[in-house]
Amino acid sequence: MEGSAIEVVDLRIVLAPALSLACALLIFAFGRRDLWRAVFALSASVLKLAIVLSMLPGSLAGTVYVYELVDFPPGIGIVFRADGLGMFFALVSSTLWVVTTVYAIGYLQGAHERVRFFGFFALCVSTTVGLAFAENLLTLFLFYELLTICTYPLVIHDETPEAMKAGRKYLAYTLSGGVAVLLGVVLVQDLAGTLTLAEPGILSLEAGRPMLLLAFVVLVAGFGVKAAIMPLHGWLPTAMVAPVPVSALLHAVAVVKAGVFGLLRVIYNIFGVELLGVLGYTHWLAVFAGFTIIAASVMALAQTHLKLRLAYSTVSQLSYIVLAASLLTPLAALAAIAHIANQAFAKITMFFVAGAVQRTTGRTQIHELAGLGRVMPWTMGAFTIAALSFIAVPLFAGFVTKWFLCLGALQAGEWWWVLLMVASSLLNAAYWLPILYLAWFREPRGLPRGVREARALLLAPTLVSAAYVLLLGMTARVPGMPFSLAQAAVRFVTGI
Amino acid sequence: MAHWLPLAVLVPLVAGALTPAVARGRPALARGWALSAALFSTLATAMLTRRVAREGPFSYAMGGWAPPWGIELRFDEFSAAALFISFIVVLVLVFSGPYVLRAVPRPRIPWYYSLLLINLGAMIGFVVTGDLFNLFVFMELVAVSSYALVAVGGGRTAALAAFKYLVAGAVSSTLILFCIGVLYAMTGSLNMADVALRLAEVEARAPVVLALVGLVVGFLVKAGLFPLHVWLPDAHAIAPTPINALSSALVVKLGIIGLLRVFPLFGAAGAVSLAPLYDALAWLGAISILAGAFFALFQQDVKLMLAYSTISNIGYIVLGLGLAGELAVTGAGIHVLNHALIKATLFLAAGAMLHQSGYRTLSDLRGVGHAMPWTSFSLLLGVLAIAGLPPTAGFLGKWYIALGAIQSGRPGFAVVVLLGALLVFMYLGRMLNAFYFRAPTHERMLAVREAPASMLGPVLLLAVLCVLGGLQGRWPVRLIEPAVVRLLGGG
Repeated sequence: MEGSAIEVVDLRIVLAPALSLACALLIFAFGRRDLWRAVFALSASVLKLAIVLSMLPGSLAGTVYVYELVDFPPGIGIVFRADGLGMFFALVSSTLWVVTTVYAIGYLQGAHERVRFFGFFALCVSTTVGLAFAENLLTLFLFYELLTICTYPLVIHDETPEAMKAGRKYLAYTLSGGVAVLLGVVLVQDLAGTLTLAEPGILSLEAGRPMLLLAFVVLVAGFGVKAAIMPLHGWLPTAMVAPVPVSALLHAVAVVKAGVFGLLRVIYNIFGVELLGVLGYTHWLAVFAGFTIIAASVMALAQTHLKLRLAYSTVSQLSYIVLAASLLTPLAALAAIAHIANQAFAKITMFFVAGAVQRTTGRTQIHELAGLGRVMPWTMGAFTIAALSFIAVPLFAGFVTKWFLCLGALQAGEWWWVLLMVASSLLNAAYWLPILYLAWFREPRGLPRGVREARALLLAPTLVSAAYVLLLGMTARVPGMPFSLAQAAVRFVTGI
Repeated sequence: MAHWLPLAVLVPLVAGALTPAVARGRPALARGWALSAALFSTLATAMLTRRVAREGPFSYAMGGWAPPWGIELRFDEFSAAALFISFIVVLVLVFSGPYVLRAVPRPRIPWYYSLLLINLGAMIGFVVTGDLFNLFVFMELVAVSSYALVAVGGGRTAALAAFKYLVAGAVSSTLILFCIGVLYAMTGSLNMADVALRLAEVEARAPVVLALVGLVVGFLVKAGLFPLHVWLPDAHAIAPTPINALSSALVVKLGIIGLLRVFPLFGAAGAVSLAPLYDALAWLGAISILAGAFFALFQQDVKLMLAYSTISNIGYIVLGLGLAGELAVTGAGIHVLNHALIKATLFLAAGAMLHQSGYRTLSDLRGVGHAMPWTSFSLLLGVLAIAGLPPTAGFLGKWYIALGAIQSGRPGFAVVVLLGALLVFMYLGRMLNAFYFRAPTHERMLAVREAPASMLGPVLLLAVLCVLGGLQGRWPVRLIEPAVVRLLGGG
């Protein structure tokens, strides 16, 4: 797809987000019965995955699907376009929607306000896919803001004072970020006269350095809020009060990835690799990302609550993507895009495990996990796979990212990032291995008799996503896997 | 039909004057009578808007007397606001049916409809007149009927609020009348096109500047721009809610349209430079955006919050005018129309809540989202639109104004535009929490029912328009484009 991709007008890329939207409306209207709600949610998620998968062969062959929904605002329009990067993100999010839906049905049995929960859950996925398929920065912004609003009822699902407070913090951070993004959108429209994401960069030096710097800062800060780049990460650990499927959705699929995805779009499609190479702004972004990787890992070490450790690990992992993108080399770009999937599957596995353990044994603290490997071997097995992936053991998904990230750093002639990767791997080992040790090599203590493996509805999604982690790690080179989509996207953004 | 233009103004005025007589002994007839007159105006203004979109501006000489001696009615692209005005009044009339039964003493109900029709006719007259003196007359008709409508619900505070409104209104009216007098003394004409021509030849600059400043200040008071807004919140808190919808969505906009009418008079003259005035407007607008949104944030009373939000939104429009670029003025023009739709949605939805539950503060209204799902949803949609979330109607104006600010090299104003939106979002969060996520304060809330069809219908229709007005926003943008070019071209 060397710059001149075949563009095909195709309704399917509107159908994919519209399907989740329809599902949400059906749930709000007729979702009072558990059975109906489950039927709506499951069939919509499976159908959507099927739609996205049906576009995959075409996308791999270099076809780009486009569809203009409405000319709003005049001359810009809400337009959808599925290129390699967009397809990659859409594929990840719709795969995980199926898995998370099954898990949520199991997790939330007997909880309150389930209609609201599943309705907004579907809305979130709808906006995420819309975001993935956005053709221009304004469409991207539209879905970015909608996502903020749709996730709010999920964050405060428990309606405890603590949850309400977390919700306020979440809104304050993300809406401020949204305003910054909008300012950036207006600036880009003025500087470039277009907002399209279909080019490898639309800005040029003619715009003048002060305005370019302003645009870069507000866009990166705006998307950086959801991407949880320090010091904009404050909302993320607080939002951990939400139910586990929400945390999974926030931290693996929708919210944080929306921020990262926006950053990738800004770097690759708005500024473009060439211009940023001249301007050099990304050196600073890389420093922020590198700092976040280390600092968040150190903070993760200090957490005793499993979900909080997962949260700080997320903050750290997201910055891998940011760091990789700011290196501007093709191999690093490959790492950035591939890590969207690698982090998503590994992190969602961990959240599923945390939820399954909480539901089955009521335990949430790390020291309480002692001996659980003997009681819940499958669950803890899945956790082990995810943890090894984060430590970047070869054959696991996380290794692929780090490998290409290191190669990309060397390509850029910046060897010190390789050292950072090594340090980060050590830190990851330092906070995941003790958990594995506790779970497998200690005796279980204080567990009531009869506690067994988690229920099938919780266990099956966990195992599926753990299997994906292995799949992504071992089959990166197999043609037709998501990785080849990432390669196609990289070829486009770097013009190779 | 050539006579649509005068009929659009006269039919509601005459029908309004006749309402008490028609409804004598048959009060139920008043609403139907008023509705048919307002529907007629909607139809007439729709025809006129279609014509202006096809042929451009056109004039009508009253009684066949050609201007500048006769009275000229002139329908240009900005006059298309008359269509929005009549349409919203129709919806307000539909909505008022059940509402006034409780909010207005029964013998006064025919008067209520009568005043509404006179208000409508005068507003249409104001936007289509081509004559300075009639501009003043229609403005006064609107003002006087509005004072009465504020007080129509009765009660001691109602009279006080109406009086406050009257004092502010009277001062600004006097100022405007005085300035029109100055212009007349200098040019010997009252026809706007004619005045513009003759002002170009006037040598004395001081009186021209005086007239310009006086007119601008007068109209800004009418528009409720901060810090000239003091009359606005009280009048809004007291008046029956459908009247709030009317005055917040439409009447304050007349101040803006007044500005749009008087600028060309001076722009053509070249005797005075408008640049300092535009700068002042931009700053005043920016201050009003932030001040209005900031005060709105602290209101518990939903109606008061909406009133302050109007001050903020008038700020957007004035900022857009003050930036004086094509994009920004387009944004201002679009926002005049779209804000009318959005604010009508908001006030009618809040009115439905007040009518059904008897509560009007956020803490009392807790749980209303479950009791009145459709109304609450419409209200929230309206708040999203007023915050300017794409693709709602509120986004379009802000987008153009922000773009215009950056294009004119003043990104600071773009930041203000976006900060205003952020403040509204904060209010949105409080509202969401109160309506949906907090336990009701009052047990009665559990028994509250959804509003009756004649209230819910207009609210839902307007809510849909809040979204459609954004999605289909290219139509109004295209419509007012020539008018914006003419305005900036200097008349």
